[in-house]
Amino acid sequence: MIRLEHVTKKYGDVIAVNDFSLEVSRGEVCVLIGPSGCGKTTTLRMINRLIEPTSGRIFVNGDDISQIKPERLRQSIGYAIQSVGLFPHMTVAANIAVVPELLGWRKERIARRTEELLRLVGLNPKEYAGKYVSQLSGGEAQRIGVARALAADPPLLLMDEPFGAVDPLTRQRLQTQFVRIQQELKKTIILVTHDLDEAIRMADRIAIMQAGRLVQYDTPEVILSKPANKFVLDFVGTDRALKRLSRIGIGKFVKPAPSVKADASIREVMLAIGGCHSVWVLDEDDRPIGWIDAASIHKEATVGELIVRGDTDEISVVNYATLRDALSRMLGLGFKCIPVVDERKRFIGEITLGDVEAATVEVEENHA
Amino acid sequence: MLSPKVRHWALLAAFSAAFIVLLSNTGWWETMLRFLFTQETQVIYPSANLLVLMGEHLRLVLVSSAFTILIGVPLGTWVTRRSGQKFLPIVNGLTSIGQTFPPVAVLALAVPLFGFGLVPTVIALFLYGLLPVVRNTIAGLRAVPGDVLDAAYGLGMNRWQALFRIEIPLAARVILAGVRISVVINVGTAMIGAVIGAGGLGAPIIAGLVQFNTAYVIEGALPAALLAVLLDQVLASIEKSFAYSASERKS
Repeated sequence: MIRLEHVTKKYGDVIAVNDFSLEVSRGEVCVLIGPSGCGKTTTLRMINRLIEPTSGRIFVNGDDISQIKPERLRQSIGYAIQSVGLFPHMTVAANIAVVPELLGWRKERIARRTEELLRLVGLNPKEYAGKYVSQLSGGEAQRIGVARALAADPPLLLMDEPFGAVDPLTRQRLQTQFVRIQQELKKTIILVTHDLDEAIRMADRIAIMQAGRLVQYDTPEVILSKPANKFVLDFVGTDRALKRLSRIGIGKFVKPAPSVKADASIREVMLAIGGCHSVWVLDEDDRPIGWIDAASIHKEATVGELIVRGDTDEISVVNYATLRDALSRMLGLGFKCIPVVDERKRFIGEITLGDVEAATVEVEENHA
Repeated sequence: MLSPKVRHWALLAAFSAAFIVLLSNTGWWETMLRFLFTQETQVIYPSANLLVLMGEHLRLVLVSSAFTILIGVPLGTWVTRRSGQKFLPIVNGLTSIGQTFPPVAVLALAVPLFGFGLVPTVIALFLYGLLPVVRNTIAGLRAVPGDVLDAAYGLGMNRWQALFRIEIPLAARVILAGVRISVVINVGTAMIGAVIGAGGLGAPIIAGLVQFNTAYVIEGALPAALLAVLLDQVLASIEKSFAYSASERKS
């Protein structure tokens, strides 16, 4: 899909990108990562000709891009940047419609597409289409930046720290959402970031750059288990094993666990708990709201007296979270197991510390 | 209920109408001026009535401002483009000279070349009003955020599309503020046109100064001041319609 061949960019005597070659296949997410000034943004901007390389060639779909008119090339490539760069004098809908309008789409088609995209990024079209940029939060603005990049349904997407300008919590939510959108759309994406966790969460392949050169280009698993040199080793840090856990979803580790409703009788609780050491307590919507320890149970007590209450969001993890999310939640709470919920916070089972440990060992063995 | 915007424009239209009615009633002016200047025998400038003078004055202001805008905005735009960047200091310098050079001196120099009347006055006013328009055009275009422009080009706009769809709309408020300053200054400066026979509200003022008749001076100065205030309000309202952030739109 995209091929860079010996691309070099010099600014006077300074070499920003040095003999850089890279190939990204269709439908793959390639993350360019490295310390600031390593040339990753320059590389990205050469792909849509916002910067012209000093030497070397770049191919998109087999076509040498130096032979394509820059405006036409850019209209066919999605582009999202950290500062978003939404146009403040236009509504959200008009911002998203920019590229379709440049391409001369008909009005009804643009309106339909705008609505579809707002839904895709999880914003209510009725509420957001007519808003101005100044009325949006940072996270909303970045989602609209992504929607604008996707507007004309380009097969290729260039993203420069697209989730950079928001708080860590929002960032993680946007990343998770984007990973799910990507599973549906299967775009070819080149994404620039300096955040290794983001790279590991999103990438099919990671390209690590140092001083304009490509140091290592491989899957996150291999980069984490076999760093090519000292630079990569330092860059991925000493918590590589932990980072690898964020490549693994908790889905297949979720096990059924005993649970009772908050209005259950003590007999039902004792029945449910069986040989386990605790039972999760759910509210009427099946949301975990606490637990009861087996040791504390006696016949005269009521569920209300025995329950150790906890906030659903705090004690549980969602089923699309990663092992790392689950582990850090368990360590934070000091629990050996935590409940797993679906998107609507309904209880579906639990995941234990032992499962995470076993998974870690498995990963180690696979990449040893 | 009418929207605040419609009400605002209706109010301005009503003021303009009242202004014209006021100008066309020479009798009212005579009564007022006679009350103020009891010892003068003649209180109304005899050569032309106020509506005619106002018409001449407006013509001077509008023609010179039209030239100022038609030349100033493209000039300011050009020197912010890559092709014109080299000329930025020259244009800045020349427009500053245009403003600091006294319009009376421009008239003195222009009369031998263009004769008396409208043409030299328009030239003097044009030069005098150029600076705020050019400066504000440059400032407005420069203030367009770099990331917004980067996005515009990155999405596939060419230079003209980026200029007309993004840069000019975003700079419009600042550019219009320059136009407003320029026009209001010109309402006052256009008085000098009377010195070389271009007419306008300067005519009764000059006559009043020559004949030591303060009533004539008031007859020219008061309508000019009102005209300046009215034009300022109209242009400010146009400017406001280019607000794009929530807080600006409310104000």
